Parts: sequence; structure tokens; C-alpha cells
Amino acid sequence: MFHGIDPRSSIPLYAQIAERIRLAIANGTLSSAASLPSVRQLAAELRINPATVTQAYRDLEEQGFVEIRHGAGTFVRELAPGRRARERSQQAVTLVRKLLAEARRSGVSLAELQRALETELGVKTA
Amino acid sequence: MTHAIAIDRLHYRVGTAFEIRDLDLHVPAGSIYGFLGPNGSGKTTTIRLILGLLRPLSGRITVLGDAMPEQHARVLSRVGYVPEQPHLDVTLTVGELIDFQRAFYTRWDQHRAAELLAAFELDRDRLFGRLSKGQKAKLMILLALAQCGDLLVLDEPTDGLDPVVRRDILRALMAYVSERGATIFISSHLVHELERVCDWVAVMDNGRLITASPMEKFKHGIKRLVVTGAPRDIVDPPFRILAREAANGAGESWVVGDWDPAMQSYIERLGAAVREVIDLDLEDGFVELLRSFRGVSR
Repeated sequence: MFHGIDPRSSIPLYAQIAERIRLAIANGTLSSAASLPSVRQLAAELRINPATVTQAYRDLEEQGFVEIRHGAGTFVRELAPGRRARERSQQAVTLVRKLLAEARRSGVSLAELQRALETELGVKTA
Repeated sequence: MTHAIAIDRLHYRVGTAFEIRDLDLHVPAGSIYGFLGPNGSGKTTTIRLILGLLRPLSGRITVLGDAMPEQHARVLSRVGYVPEQPHLDVTLTVGELIDFQRAFYTRWDQHRAAELLAAFELDRDRLFGRLSKGQKAKLMILLALAQCGDLLVLDEPTDGLDPVVRRDILRALMAYVSERGATIFISSHLVHELERVCDWVAVMDNGRLITASPMEKFKHGIKRLVVTGAPRDIVDPPFRILAREAANGAGESWVVGDWDPAMQSYIERLGAAVREVIDLDLEDGFVELLRSFRGVSR
């Protein structure tokens, strides 16, 4: 779930971790009531500051994705219908933005990008 | 106690070759504090001053609330220290060294020692002198953690070790911090490793502290800008210009410190344009900061 998190990125580690967990909840990898790894476990496994994990879990709690039960652990909450799908569309937007930014940086035009996308998908969208 | 380590106006000199001047350093309790700097910048000397192994000419050092070196006996019983070079008796076995160390620390946690012995796959009966470099480093970490200090002072604990050993050591350190909430003060050349674990970072060069700030603030504040049409002289900008050179192609490449996105309009008011704002990682930021510091002080 946390493969490829990048401490060198300008996106803070806690935000990257929270995003991965949100995604896992959105796509059903983590179902309702599933428990997240303990702070100690995840900090040791990823070799990151425990405060970073705590911050990620707190943000997720604030956003309503998990519930922190002190002494017991952190659990995925029952989500309102449609919330998972909404989260996935949100993720799609993020991915497209990343792609567009990368294309701009490397001087790839929108038309070229669209052609490549069509070839990859094997369909004509226009 | 808000600071695990507080250093104020510290002055230290040995001979005429090297001195630490006007050092102010405050390490928040509970932080993992990365201490960066090139070889010979004064990192190890600072660490030895913190531990009371050297005496400053002037200034004040407080560790875990007590004055150093005056209270070193009280302080050192709560500080785990891993020096750059292991200093243990090569003729003793791993088990003997553990028992020896244990006798000095009232808070010693034998359960943790046993756990780490197993996790690190160390053999109690092996002579210290016969251990590999990685095994020696792991034993030093074991000893520092089992004494259950509130502060760990680690001088390049993983530099020069293979990635598997580095992983094992960092894993043990992070598990320890999550359980005990201790402060870690760690110096290293392995910038990417510090970037992973530290929430504070300080940079030292030539006996002086160049910068000290929360990691996120440091990384957010340092950017590379591609700027076109900038005037030659820029007076009193709201950010620091660490480097400025002609970029290949159009415009100039700047490296700025204390940057905030809102400052883009400042550059535009000068009649210039910011073509691109590029994030730097800790290593790039560190190198640019040193480069600029040396340019100014020379």
C-alpha cells in the first residue's frame, strides 16, 4: 500500500501516507472496520518518524475516514454511500493533474498527449 | 522542559585552527533532529560538548533540563550515545559487553536488550573484535536503546553501513521512539535517510550554524526559480537569494531561501517573470545553502 512513498518529494510524507490510505479505502482494499497498522508498526516498517504516521492518521480522522480509539487502534469508518466513488474520482483528477504538469514540463502538447492516450486505450475518444 | 538540548552563545576553541562561535541550538523535546554538515564542520565537536566530553570557553549548554558539563552524571544516565567510532573492548564478547553496560544504568531494560539481540541476529558469545562493521554498529545501537534514555545522541550511526543494516537500525530506532517518545539528535551524511525520519534539521559549516528549522519549512522555503527579465540589482528582497546564474536557454536560474509562493508577485513588480518554480529535496537544498554560505564568508 505504501510502495514508492517518496521522502524527497515536496509533498509532505504524512500527506502521502494519508493519500495512500484514502485510496485503499476508496478502492476497497481497506474495508469498513478494518484496522490500520499501529503507529509503532508503520513507523518502523517505513522507517519514518512516528509523528508523521500520527499526523497522517489524525488527518484521516478529521476527514472522516477513520476513527482513532485510544488504546485500541485506528479503524476504517463506515462511509456514507457514494463516498468511496467520490474519493476515486478525486483521485482521477489528481492523476490527470500530475500527468498534465509532467507533460507541460517535458514540452508534450495536449494533442500529442491525447493521441498517446487513445493509442494506449486502443479507442478513438474524439 | 521544552528543549531536550539548549545551547546558548557557545564558544569553543582548540588551538588556532578551529573554533565554534556564537552557537545557539535548541532541540525540541520529542523531535528527531538531523544535524548536517560537511566533514570538519564541527558536528562531532558539538556533540562532544553536548555530552560534557569537552568544556566550552563560554556559553551555556542545558541537556534534559540540567546544565552541562556540571551535571553530567545526572544527564548521562538518561542519554544514549553512539559515537562515530565504536569504543568498546575488543576482547569482550557481545554478552559480556551487554552485562557490563547494564551495570551502569539503573533504567536498563533487559527485555529490550534481548529483543534487539534477536532482531539484530547478534551472537552473545562472539568477541566484539570479531564482529563485522554492521554487527558492531547494531550492538552500539542495542546498548544505547536498552539503557532507556530520554535522549539519543547518534554520531553518524549508519554512515558506511550496507542498506540492510541501515534498515534494521532505523527500524529499531523508530520503534523505540514510538514507544518512549524520546528525542533523537542524529548527525549523518546520509541526507536522504535524515529526510525520511527527521522533523527538524540544522546545518553547520566551519564551526557556525547556518540554519536550523523544521524539516517541512526548510524544504518549502528552498526553491529553484527560472526567472527572465530580472534587473541586475535586487535590493532587500523578502526572500534570500542563495545563488543566481545564467540558465542555459532563456533567463536565469535562481536558488532562493525563505520562499513563499506569494513572493512571486514581488519578482513580477520588478518587471521580471517567474517561468518555473522547482522544488528541491533536502540534499539539493543543503548543497545550495552551503555553497551560498561559503561564497559570502569567503
